[in-house]
This record gives sequence, C-alpha cells and structure tokens, in this order.
Amino acid sequence: MTGRRGEKPPHESRSAIESSPHVERATAPPPGPLQPFHLPEVRAGALPNGLALRSMERGQVPLVSARLVLAAGEISVPRERAGLAVLTGDSLQGGTARRSGVQLAEALESLGSALRVSVGWEAMSVEFTCLAERLDEMLSLLAEVVREPSFPDEEVERIRRQRLATIHQRRMEPDERADDELDRAIFAPDHPFHRSLAGTAEAVGSLGAADARTYAAASYGAAGGGFVLVGDIPRERVVELGERHFGEWLPNRSGAYPSFEAPASERRVVIVNRPGSVQSELRIGLPGPSRGHPDEVPLRVANLALGGSFTSRLNLSLRERHGFTYGARSGFAFRKRGGLFSISTAVQTDVTVAALGETMEVFRRFVEEGPSPVEMERSRDYLAGVFPLRMESTSQLADRLAELVIYGLPHDYHHRYRDEIRGVQIEGARAAVLAHLDPATCAVVLVGDADRIASGVSELGLGPLEVLDA
Amino acid sequence: MRLRGSSIALTTETRKLENGLTVVLAPDRATPIVAVNLWYGVGSRNENVGRTGFAHLFEHMMFQGSEHVPKGHHFQLVEQAGGTVNASTWFDRTNYFETLPAHHLDLALWLESDRMGWLLPAMDQEKLDNQRDVVRNERQQRYDNQPYGDWDERMHALVFPHDHPYHHSVIGSMQDLARASLSDVEEFFRTYYRPNNAVLTLAGDFDPDSAFARVERYFGELPRGREPPPVPGKPELEPWIGRVSPARVTGQVPLPRVYLGARIPSFADPSYYAADMASSVLAAGRASRLYRRLVREQRIARDVVAFSLPLVTGRSLLACWITGFPGGDPDELEGALVRELEGLVDVRSEEIERVLALAETAHLRGLEHLSTRADHLSMQQMLFGDASRVNTEVDRLRAVTAEDVRAFAEAVLVPENRAVLTYVPGEVT
Repeated sequence: MTGRRGEKPPHESRSAIESSPHVERATAPPPGPLQPFHLPEVRAGALPNGLALRSMERGQVPLVSARLVLAAGEISVPRERAGLAVLTGDSLQGGTARRSGVQLAEALESLGSALRVSVGWEAMSVEFTCLAERLDEMLSLLAEVVREPSFPDEEVERIRRQRLATIHQRRMEPDERADDELDRAIFAPDHPFHRSLAGTAEAVGSLGAADARTYAAASYGAAGGGFVLVGDIPRERVVELGERHFGEWLPNRSGAYPSFEAPASERRVVIVNRPGSVQSELRIGLPGPSRGHPDEVPLRVANLALGGSFTSRLNLSLRERHGFTYGARSGFAFRKRGGLFSISTAVQTDVTVAALGETMEVFRRFVEEGPSPVEMERSRDYLAGVFPLRMESTSQLADRLAELVIYGLPHDYHHRYRDEIRGVQIEGARAAVLAHLDPATCAVVLVGDADRIASGVSELGLGPLEVLDA
Repeated sequence: MRLRGSSIALTTETRKLENGLTVVLAPDRATPIVAVNLWYGVGSRNENVGRTGFAHLFEHMMFQGSEHVPKGHHFQLVEQAGGTVNASTWFDRTNYFETLPAHHLDLALWLESDRMGWLLPAMDQEKLDNQRDVVRNERQQRYDNQPYGDWDERMHALVFPHDHPYHHSVIGSMQDLARASLSDVEEFFRTYYRPNNAVLTLAGDFDPDSAFARVERYFGELPRGREPPPVPGKPELEPWIGRVSPARVTGQVPLPRVYLGARIPSFADPSYYAADMASSVLAAGRASRLYRRLVREQRIARDVVAFSLPLVTGRSLLACWITGFPGGDPDELEGALVRELEGLVDVRSEEIERVLALAETAHLRGLEHLSTRADHLSMQQMLFGDASRVNTEVDRLRAVTAEDVRAFAEAVLVPENRAVLTYVPGEVT
C-alpha cells in the first residue's frame, strides 16, 4: 500500500468487530435454511385444429403474458429466398383486413402494450405482455394480425428496405460480422446455418409483398403451433380464450421439419480486414448438438467452467490475468436440429495474436482435462441455484413455455431441470466434452486490422488463412 | 406486488444505522429470491479535470477482493450460491448489486460490507494495472471499435460546458486513467465509500426485522466518514445550450445517423416530466410521431429513438436520433427531425394517453424483476430521500398535460438549445 493519510483507515478498527460475538468475517457466512422454489405446474392441452395450449397460473402481479408460436421459422426457407420468414414476420404489423398499420399501432398502444414478432430458425412468435384487465382486447388484436394480415405492397416494400439496411449494417458492426463469418466458416454453403438468420441481401432484394402473402398463407396456421398464457388465469379460461381466438383457424400445410446433413468441418482461419480497428473481434467455433440431445445438460454444466460464467477459465485468463479483453465467454446454441458451439471475445489489436494463442491453449487444455471436480460442483450449484432467477417475470415464464412448444419438450421439462443438472457426473461431462468439442477442427474468425494481425495469426499455424475485405 | 387503483402499492420501509447507512427494506415473499442493491453517492460527476474515468475504474477495483475476500471470490461465491452479481457507474452514482436465492442473503451482506470496510488492504499495483487494461478494452469495445459508439461522449461535450460535471463521459479518458495510482484509489475510497454516502436496498423474500438486524451486524461497525466534498465545477446551468456548431463525424458507420440533444430540467425538477413525456410522444412505440412520420410515411428513417435521462446535477439531457438508409441525405434527416421537435407544440391529449398507458405497463414490467425494483428504490431514496416514490412514479408522468408539453416545446426545444451530431459513412477523417 502507499502511504496513508487523512482519517484513520477503517480496517484499523477491526478489533471492534472481532470482539463482536456475531460477526465472523474471515470466512463466508453459511447459507440459511433453503426455501423451496415452487414452479407452478404447466397446463397442457390442444385445440381440435392442432394448436397446442400451454399455460401457467400465477397471480403475483397484475400482468399477463401471451405467446402465439407458429412453425414458420427461417429454417424451411430455401437459400435463394433467405430472409423471407423474417421479412414476412416483420411485415405482419403493416395492416390487417380491418385496419391500417397506423390504426393497429394506435389500438395496441392505447392498451399500453405492443406486439413483438420474433422470427427464429425454428419458429416465429407473436407475443405481448399487458395488464391483466386488457388481455381479451389484446388477444383479439393478436388474432386479427396473425389470421387476417393484409401485407400492403407499400408496407412490405418499406420493411424490405429496412431489412436490407439491417443486413448492410450487420456487415459493418464488428461483433455481428464476426458471428456471421463464423457461421459461414463452420457450416457448408448448402446448410441453412451457413447464412445469417437475417438472410442475404441478394435474396431479400428479390422479394416482395406477393412473396410475403404466399409465405404467410402457407406457413401461418395452427399445425405445429402453440398458444401460451401466463398470469392469473384459470385453466378453463385459457381453453375458452384459445377456442374463441384461434379455434376456427385452419391448420397450415406446413410440412415436416427439414433435416440436414451434419456439416463436415475442417479447420479454417478467416480474417475480415477492418483497417484501423483498435480491437479484434475473435470467434472460435464448431457445429454442436441439437436441443434435447442426451449430452445437452452435461455440456451446459461443463461449458460453465470453460466460458459460461465470470469465473470461467476463459474469462479469468483473458480478462483477469492478462487484461487482453473486457470479457470472454463460450456457449452452445442448441437448436431444434443441430446447433453450434462458439467462443467469443474482443481483444486489443496489439495483443490479438497472444490472446488467440492463449484462447486456443485454454480451450485445448479444457477438452483434454475436462472440468475439475471443483468446477463441476460450482457449475451444478450455479445452474441449479440460478434457475428461479430465470423464472422471475411473467414474460420469462411465457418464454420458457414457448420453448416447450418450439423444441417439442415434455411439459415437465423445466420442473425436472434442476434435478437433471444436479445429476450430471464428472465422467459424463468429460465424455460429452470429448464427443462434441474437437479443437483441432474448429473454425477461427477475426474481424480486425489485417495488416497488424495476419502474419502473427498465420504463424500460430492454426490452419489455412483467408483474408477477406470488410 | 399489487395495484392500488392504477398505482403500484409496494411495501417499503426505510431505516438508518448509526453510522449513517440508509437501509431500504421491501419485502415480497412471493418467490424465494432476494435482491441486494447498494448505491454509493458518487459517479463521474465527482471527478476532477484530468481525472476522468476514475469512478468507473474504481468500481472495477471493488471486485478485486477485500481483506477477507480474495481476488475473484466475490463472483465465485455469488455464482456458486446460484446468484448473479454486477455493478455500474453513471454520472450521479455507482451501484453494486446481487440477486440470489433468499437463504444466501448473509453472503451478499458479508461481501458488500467487507469491501465497504476492508477494501484497501487488498489493493495492489498488479490489480490496478490489470483492471486499467480491462477498462481500456471496455472503452475500445463499447466506444472506439463500435459504429456510433462514442456518440454520448460527443453529445455530452456539446450539451454541457467544460466546467460542468456532465461534460465528460463516464468511461473517461484513457490518458487520465494512465495516471491513476493506488493512492488515488485509497483517497477515493475514504472520500466516497462511506456508509453515510450509501443506500442499501433489500427487495424480496425476507423478514424485515431479521434482515435489518443482519444488516446492522455486518455494516453497523463501519465508521461514518466525513461529508463528501461538493461536486466539482459549476453544476448550475443556463436553461439553453446556446448556439453550437453542428458536429459531423465521417467514419466507419454503416448508415447515416443524426443525433440531437437538448438541455432539459433536472430529474429533481417537477417539470422534468414534461420533457420525459415529450420524448415518448416523439418515439415511444410505432404510433409515435417520429416512427409514424419519418419511418412509415416519409420513409427516410430506418429507426428512431428519443429519451430523457434522469440526471440531477443542474440540468439533464433529452436525446434523440434517427438512422437513415444507405446513401441517405443527413441534412434531410436533420431537417425532418427538427420539424418534428418543433411540431410538438400541437401535441394532442390522445398522444399523452397513449404514452401513459405504455409507461404504466413498462413500469410494472420493470418492477417484476427484484433487481430492477431494488435499483429503483435505491434511486428514489438516494436522490429524493423517499424510496416509496417508486409507487407514484407514473403518477408524476400522469400529471403532465398536453398544455405542459406544448409549453415545454416552446420554451425548451428552441434553436438555441439544440446540439446536432451527425455520423456519415465514409473514409475516416
């Protein structure tokens, strides 16, 4: 310490505390008695047209949250139309048979809410959270939007320009560009995950209102979809609301969920040259298993120790030991069919090569050794303990129920989750790591100043290097 | 959490320790979770010229261990308990927070009290150098390497004069940080990290008397400090910025974007809510003016944003921005944005109603999360000495009339009170 000055430093008055019979400062206090967390049961059912019903009764706050999940994800869209599901979803609020887009926005917002449309690889979700007393009116609007969208030409054209601007922006945001290049490096060109979820400029540039109408007519419907409600709503009312708003809705003619060959991966190193960058965005990745794969839970536990928490190996090394970065993490994206594992960080340009070398070293060592017994214990404790914090709000609960529909999970999935986490043994976690993570085949992507990093990266000998223009 | 009429009725209680630590208790037994939130009355506004960024660097040092907690253990212990933990530094305050299963409340109290009382024995040069590198990377990642990343730093410099504490950004200058020493850490700690300069809020599943007794046990023996010195510089400000030249940045941005900032009344001034209402009329939701006119009708903007900041030192900031399309004309964007600001003089009461309905739901949704709830309570307690103002926050917005917004637009959103900052794609200049 440097010299002290001013008032008496507080730590010199420690004797007062040590004499207190109540405070033992030297070690962390033991936890109090565990208070059990009770997750209300999931009520499951279905309408005759095939629409699944999933609800949870929860009366602590005067809010309700609803999700209408549709089997209309980007996965089924062919490459030459990449971005069509997203464009159609974004255009959904352009108007209905009964009102214009402006009238729709005014009606929703006067109820204090809005519809959020989100389109993912496997599904689309239209959702809202509102005051409980406004549920019926909000559901009427949601049903109107999904069942009677008008896709006016000028609205779809407006959204199309916005989508194109967003795709353009993704190329120039270093973090998003790195994510997108990693997908391209990992997955073969004929695999949907090769492209960004946002689609391609070429494909979106060729789409129009007629495409959106056709796509919605074919893909929006009850089959494969689900209606989710969380709030102070008795079971009978959920069924009644489902029937009233979606009972007459016809099944869409959506086909089976597509299947893809597991992509063959070979080590590639890609640098996207972004001259003048003060940092390099770094990604390392591999194809990963699907949601619901028997190794999913062991991998979640193991990943926590590698890069899934602040105290993970990657963050402690790159941030807390070396000061190379503001943060480093790793994680799996478990999708309905196939997925991906990635390590992400952003490091100062002048330490990029050292940081990449260190990241690979930490990754290799982790795969070789597997998580330690202490790491296993910490990871299980964290994932099981933090579970109630992920189930706090009405909207979070609705998201969890929507996952049941999207991934076809059993409705007691979340109720069993903590036991599954606690049941993961170290042998199982190590075997899962070895089975799914092979550092020798991973793709490496850097977005940064190629003049300053390319030769050093090349000398690491991680694989054939390709430098792309930003 | 219940509603009383259309207002929220959270039960809160404020007590004080003898050393001056203010304790807010907001029990809610619905879920076995507790949020612990600690506001210290210090932020970037307390930094002197040549010392910018220090409050935030100090926040990082608070995670480097304390006498009884080795480096890294703060995060590790909370994570192992199944909790989450973080902190943030802002202009007027620094907050530290943990959310964890309720039976681990003592752990959070022990960790927070240990660094409030025994931080300094754990400080060393290596930790300071390491965290300075981490912060340099934070700045690069969030400001320097990110398109538009430095907009708020540039905007604050335009809206607040050199001698005002909001002139410089929270992240600060890396040249200034290079000079930071361990003795600065020590002095900052002694000056600001005292129980009498802090509010500790607990929200969630606990018995208030038992929880307060435990707070007293962990924090009670920490010595009171002197009153912190006044905020440096001149917090008092003219209501208008005055004429400032528009700033134009050409660089690595994908799309043209125009930012506009205006000085507005402080969050502590009741007329702040007219400014807040005005920003929501402009850009909250798809029925808002900017979205409707610039995105939907004129189609010159891809997205629109407007908000007011709850700052209390002298005056605050209303900021808005609109993003154009590739090849879009920034002058056209600026002209359209200014027209909408000036057009607020014809605001209608339906627009006010719409904003209120949205604000009511948003406020409730925020309070559903114990962590957000605890942070709101700490804020109301520290800034206004009354945590229960959380229950009436929407009421203050509800008191704003269309006439108030008109008067605000006429008096505040004038040409003499606009700072314009434009980003244009192109070669870096």
